[in-house]
Amino acid sequence: MRKLISFCILTGSVIICLYPFLWMFLSSFKTNREIYQPTLLFPENFEIDSYQSLLSEQYLPFYSFFSNSLFISGLQALFATLITAAAAFVFAKYSFRGKSFLFGVAILVILIPKQAMAVPLFDWMLWLGLQGTSWSLIFPGIASGLGIVFFTQVFRKIPNELLELAKVEGFSIPRTFFLILPLVAPSLITYGLLHFILSWQEHLLPLLLLDDENTTLPIALSKLRDSSHRIPESVGMAAATISLFPVVILFAVCFRKMKTALVHLSLS
Amino acid sequence: MVQGDNIKYIGLQNFSNVLEDAKFYKALRNTLIYVLGSILLLIPLSFILSVCLFQLSGFLRGLLVFCLMIPGLALPGVLSTLFYLFFHGRTGALNQYLVVPLGFEPVNWMMDPSFIMPSLIIQAVWRWTGMVTLFFLCGLQAIPNWQWEVAKIEGAGKWLLVRKILIPNLWHLALFAMVFLVVDGFASFSGAYNLLGGSGGILDSGLLLVTYVYQVAFPGGSGRFDFPGAAAMSLLVVPVTALLLFIILQGRRRWVLR
Repeated sequence: MRKLISFCILTGSVIICLYPFLWMFLSSFKTNREIYQPTLLFPENFEIDSYQSLLSEQYLPFYSFFSNSLFISGLQALFATLITAAAAFVFAKYSFRGKSFLFGVAILVILIPKQAMAVPLFDWMLWLGLQGTSWSLIFPGIASGLGIVFFTQVFRKIPNELLELAKVEGFSIPRTFFLILPLVAPSLITYGLLHFILSWQEHLLPLLLLDDENTTLPIALSKLRDSSHRIPESVGMAAATISLFPVVILFAVCFRKMKTALVHLSLS
Repeated sequence: MVQGDNIKYIGLQNFSNVLEDAKFYKALRNTLIYVLGSILLLIPLSFILSVCLFQLSGFLRGLLVFCLMIPGLALPGVLSTLFYLFFHGRTGALNQYLVVPLGFEPVNWMMDPSFIMPSLIIQAVWRWTGMVTLFFLCGLQAIPNWQWEVAKIEGAGKWLLVRKILIPNLWHLALFAMVFLVVDGFASFSGAYNLLGGSGGILDSGLLLVTYVYQVAFPGGSGRFDFPGAAAMSLLVVPVTALLLFIILQGRRRWVLR
């Protein structure tokens, strides 16, 4: 009985959550007139014009925006995971002068939203001469206070005996770090995925820092939307549908590992 | 500001300019309402959903929580576009399915100043419920078995179960979720930008802090190109978020560690 009630509540909320996405997918086959009737779910006939015109790059270079987005988010996630994990490993397992001060700085980085730092970043990238390139987005994306705090919690749970063993063997600190890394693989994947999603969704920084011809997907999507209805709405819907794929696939692959890491983290 | 040779230090002038700006306070107030509103809706909702999920078994549980998380994976711009086309106007789906059947007047979501903020909050709830539910679900799975057994032996009622087992065990995950939501809420830009086209909406009732910073620094809004002012504004966010997080952490000390 209890199970049934829970199941009903959950099914209801899943339907509320996903119905708009179903509508979005079906709308990519609709005509403009059909899209402006939001209660209409199925199109009269399935036209794939929108996908054709999107993928033949009739309106904007979709492939390059897409690969740009993948490149930036992928590199950001990779570097951020490695660097914050290394920093957190030292924070969790070694003591040195100024440690609590540095940890405070990491927390401060969480407190200041990256988007609020957009203006100084813009200035800085201009000074470095990187303005407009993908690297102007990748470099600032690597630093992450949240990652440091997350991985510090993770590494605290690694038993000290392992480190002592490594010390007896005469391993250097970097070597010890790489030896321990496989033990926290689920956490690495979880954080990498979260970072990937967040940078995939980033809107303000690419809008400011990147040149118009190599922007990322979010900006391409909002470009498809405005332009005074010159572009059919269905093209925007098709682009939105395609933009969902990489994240959903990645997420589906990593989902189990992510749950393992989160359960492990909340065991106190 | 950009050219290095004509920097002039003007002390705290930029900060005092910002503090005299009525629109800054409006943006700050809107952002606070946005953040607190979405937290107050999200945490209880995700709590209920995660307890429901906990009743179900393995595969179904995974599938449903995965489905719930899909809005969090989509681009915020996509959510806004959907919101705009789907919920917008008198004939929008939200009006047709929910507001009219319940016997209310259809709401003009994006054009009525008193409904812009609620629709931004609905968007935030739609986006993050799945993520927070997953956090809570993992917290529930991590509760050691002996706690349930003790409760069973003692014959504890439902309310006691919630208060003595669920809340203490889930509290630090809720805390993490709240910190995440506060930080994300203060940084949110994309949703409002797509929904309102970079403006603050009618009467600025949807003006969020980052949108305002963007308006001040870059063309599109006021076109003031006031970089220093925008930078000062960005820095003024820090004490506000710090204060909010401090309150959250204090609340934990009062309510949980008794």
